[in-house]
Amino acid sequence: MFIVLAAIAVLVFSLAGGALGSAFGLGFLSAPIPHIQLAAENITPNPIIGSFNITNTMVGTWIAIIILVIISVVSTRKTSLVPSRIQGFVEVSLEFFINLTKSIAGERHARRFFPLIMTIFLFVITANWVGILPGFNTIGWIESGHHVAEHAHHLEKDLSQVKLQVFDEVGPINVLMPGSGNILHTAQDWENCHPKDSHHVSDDCLKDTQHAGVLVPFLRSANTEINTTLAIAIVAMVMVHFWGFSTLGWGHAGKFINFKDGPTGFFVGILEAISELARLISFTFRLFGNVFAGEVLLIAMAFLVPLVGLVPFLGIELFVGAIQAFIFSILTLVFASMATISHDSHSDH
Amino acid sequence: MDGITGDIKDLAAGIAIAIGAIGPGLGIGILASKAMEALGRNPEAAPQIQQNMILAIAFTEAIAIYALVVAIIIKFV
Repeated sequence: MFIVLAAIAVLVFSLAGGALGSAFGLGFLSAPIPHIQLAAENITPNPIIGSFNITNTMVGTWIAIIILVIISVVSTRKTSLVPSRIQGFVEVSLEFFINLTKSIAGERHARRFFPLIMTIFLFVITANWVGILPGFNTIGWIESGHHVAEHAHHLEKDLSQVKLQVFDEVGPINVLMPGSGNILHTAQDWENCHPKDSHHVSDDCLKDTQHAGVLVPFLRSANTEINTTLAIAIVAMVMVHFWGFSTLGWGHAGKFINFKDGPTGFFVGILEAISELARLISFTFRLFGNVFAGEVLLIAMAFLVPLVGLVPFLGIELFVGAIQAFIFSILTLVFASMATISHDSHSDH
Repeated sequence: MDGITGDIKDLAAGIAIAIGAIGPGLGIGILASKAMEALGRNPEAAPQIQQNMILAIAFTEAIAIYALVVAIIIKFV
């Protein structure tokens, strides 16, 4: 009973301190204004070598890779017949997947398909789960209001719609602290406060110790960018067709360019080719949409209900990340096993 | 219609995801209800039914995700 009361008290406290409370003059927790960006951002303001930029999602993929490599090395260093704990864990997950692969693809092809399927599953689930750790999307460098206004001019956006966050100090590494949401500042306000000719500006602008800008995070979940998901989808579809050709020879191309069954067969072949392309696009957007929407949801909920709003949505993110990894790998497996089945029934006409 | 404040892009983003989520919502509901029926009639085939249901739900949900991506692109790009 006491726990229920305490939970309700914390909920009311965070609601009052967040965005809802600030409409009544109460917003003391003042969560930072969400800044949602579709494209991945560079982790340094200037390119590293020449014009080569490192994006924060690239760093996200590196972290996922490092974690996977560490787990593999640690679990296979001294393999024994009676497995240690981490070796047992790895064996259990691999065994679950190889059984699933054998049940869907049949005994003949299971060993061939298994490495790609398992790799896709492990990479996607690690990248998704690592992306909701604390530190992702909240620690970064600050792009000053000057650059944001320049960008908005360049893209011809409405400056009063571009919202800036307010920071007390600007250093090489910054963290989004509570307090940057209390002062609503748009790029238009910034331009009004910093006119090109330096006449005296009114006191409505920010104090000297405060800077307006946008936090550009150092770390971001790897699949929140279309490039990553497109890369995984291209690898999966290329391998599916490669297996189709290596199993069936030119019969695999005969599924798409089909002169044997008359004009309807030809038309169906073209439709099948178009649906292969649609599979590539749907792989990309399914994973991207789920992970990016999850990230936007987390940012928005952290703004609306500051202290406790994130908790159920982190749970949803864990679940969705795992399910999407599973779906990507199982769909690749299903397409691969469909590609290696020859249409022998057509020869009975 | 004077008095509209804000872009029509915001309205477009809202309508895109609102209408785009109707179809997959209905589709997933029908899928899940048929899967429950099949599970009730034949509890021994539960793993098969579950697996195929999750696969089919993934396909249907992808359509809702396309609508969401279009809404996000309208709003932020």
